Amino acid sequence: MLQITLGIVTSVGGFLEIGSVTTAAQAGARFGYQLLWAIALGTICLIFLVEMSGRLAAVSKHTVVDAMRERFGFPFFFIVCVGIVVVAFMVLVAELGGIGFGLQILTGIGFPWWAVPISFVVWLLMWKGTFGLIENGASLLGLVTLSFLFAAFRLHPSWSSAGAALIPSMPQSGKAQYGFIAVSIIGASISPYLMYFYSSGAIEDKWDRTYIPINRFIAGFGMTFGGVLSIAVLIASALALQPNGILVDTFPQAALLMTTALPKWGFYLFAVSMIFACFGAALEISLAIAYFFAQGFGWNWSEDLEPSKNARYAFVYTIIIMLAAIPLVLGVDPIKVTVISMALTSATLPLAIVPFLFLMNDPIYLGKYRNGWISNTVVAIIILMSFVLAVISIPLQIIGG
Amino acid sequence: MGLVRDVLDKKLMDREDCCMGRVSGLVMHVSEHAQPRVTHILIGGPTPWMRIHPSLGRVSRWLAGMWGPKNGEAVRIPWSRVETIGRDIKLDVEAKETGALDWEIWIARHVIERIPGSGSEEEE
Amino acid sequence: MEVNVELLIGTKVSDVNGNKIGRIEELRYERDDTSCRIEAYLIGASALIDRLSAWTLLRPIGRALRTRKVLQVYEVPWQEMDLRDPKHPKLRIAKGDLRHAK
Repeated sequence: MLQITLGIVTSVGGFLEIGSVTTAAQAGARFGYQLLWAIALGTICLIFLVEMSGRLAAVSKHTVVDAMRERFGFPFFFIVCVGIVVVAFMVLVAELGGIGFGLQILTGIGFPWWAVPISFVVWLLMWKGTFGLIENGASLLGLVTLSFLFAAFRLHPSWSSAGAALIPSMPQSGKAQYGFIAVSIIGASISPYLMYFYSSGAIEDKWDRTYIPINRFIAGFGMTFGGVLSIAVLIASALALQPNGILVDTFPQAALLMTTALPKWGFYLFAVSMIFACFGAALEISLAIAYFFAQGFGWNWSEDLEPSKNARYAFVYTIIIMLAAIPLVLGVDPIKVTVISMALTSATLPLAIVPFLFLMNDPIYLGKYRNGWISNTVVAIIILMSFVLAVISIPLQIIGG
Repeated sequence: MGLVRDVLDKKLMDREDCCMGRVSGLVMHVSEHAQPRVTHILIGGPTPWMRIHPSLGRVSRWLAGMWGPKNGEAVRIPWSRVETIGRDIKLDVEAKETGALDWEIWIARHVIERIPGSGSEEEE
Repeated sequence: MEVNVELLIGTKVSDVNGNKIGRIEELRYERDDTSCRIEAYLIGASALIDRLSAWTLLRPIGRALRTRKVLQVYEVPWQEMDLRDPKHPKLRIAKGDLRHAK
């Protein structure tokens, strides 16, 4: 059952990173419970996508990127590479900034000063650590985010109202902003790098066909873990911030969602939760980008190998992390980067999901473990949704962001 | 059996199961009255970039000649070295001797192994 | 003459009369211990679907369309393909003499 840590660390990168927490907090502060359905929808979509990524890896011993390169060829792979890596890099900048913001809250020292030490620590863990250490360590540290759930319960929410909000409804006012936040929540949840990370992790953990049932449980439990905590952030924000008219325009304002429930420790718990959650997300994204290059180009890769044994893979994550520190050192606001990256994630989703549908129906890779009609229907709906998100995300960002 | 589906872009493994890269291209010998035969597998170099656009192939060749092992050309492996075609393609070669790992070795020696903790043999 | 297979994929093919046939999407080969011989060239969008192993996904639509001859796969034996200009491959026969791949 230690394998569950792969699910938890994946969901940390999907639901508890700076983008998801900020948008969930904004959603709660602005619209109360009304956007709960977006988090639930994102969670369900992610459960299916992550389960499929794990199944592909366990049965075919290919990661999603391996299979995409082999089936669709180098030109297509390169287009996806550019789209996905650019967006993932922006998210990495935001996550390192999220760690910096957390440290800023704790110490009063501005986040640009933390950019280099944080990047160094993330890099060092990848340089010296194994996949198991990163997976288990990030998961364990990520458990501190259970404080969001604790805070939500302490505020005594109306569970019937929360349940009713699982059905989409339009607000009376601020429709453009509502749409933008909904798109951002879904885009922040269904990040393609999660699929690439999870399938690579399944190979690192040496999964085979016997892991198929476990994979279903891990995907379900792991993503639900993240989704529930994201819902807790929204609920806490709805109860703590909305009645006081606090709109979460800046990151420190988001910390206030914890202080109503936990006046003495809430502020610091929020900071610590964000530090650990963003740390896990930063590791996951750095790994996902390095895996993408290594698998796509056919290099040796494994987090369990020493850097000299997979030099090009180690070189990629070293450069990526170094480059990600630069905007933060220059004082670029990580929240602005987050907002833009979420819109771009939504815009580039079709690039990742459409080939995935083909791969999950490939008898050569999956044999009898191909998608059934339920999974295919869900992926088809996600594809439809991703095209709609791709078209509306950027205009909505301009109007409602 | 389809050449594009079974061979192109597949991962290549040497006789010691070391990863050598991917099949970027295939050279086919064509003549007027003889059956075309695939003669070589191409790895890396400008080959994959040429598939997107010829100008990208030229840029790749130029850039590769500026730094690194300064070899901008693709590695050519004779088709006769192909042992099996399956999930990956197994070759009867040693990866280091083919030149397919030149970039890996160069980056290891000139960048990675200069950073402490890289696990290089010199350190051990 | 040497031809790069990866650059041949996707090139448009015309017949001996200059009529457009489609694009080369796959090459059928036979392999023995030492050589890999090209048996035929597959032309047409269905050949692309074959290459992506996507019939499982698209079979119901594909069967309907193939019976209506909208999506066709032509199998061109190696003898009938003229690759003297690899950027503009031509058939040595007319479109009407082509046979559909099974």
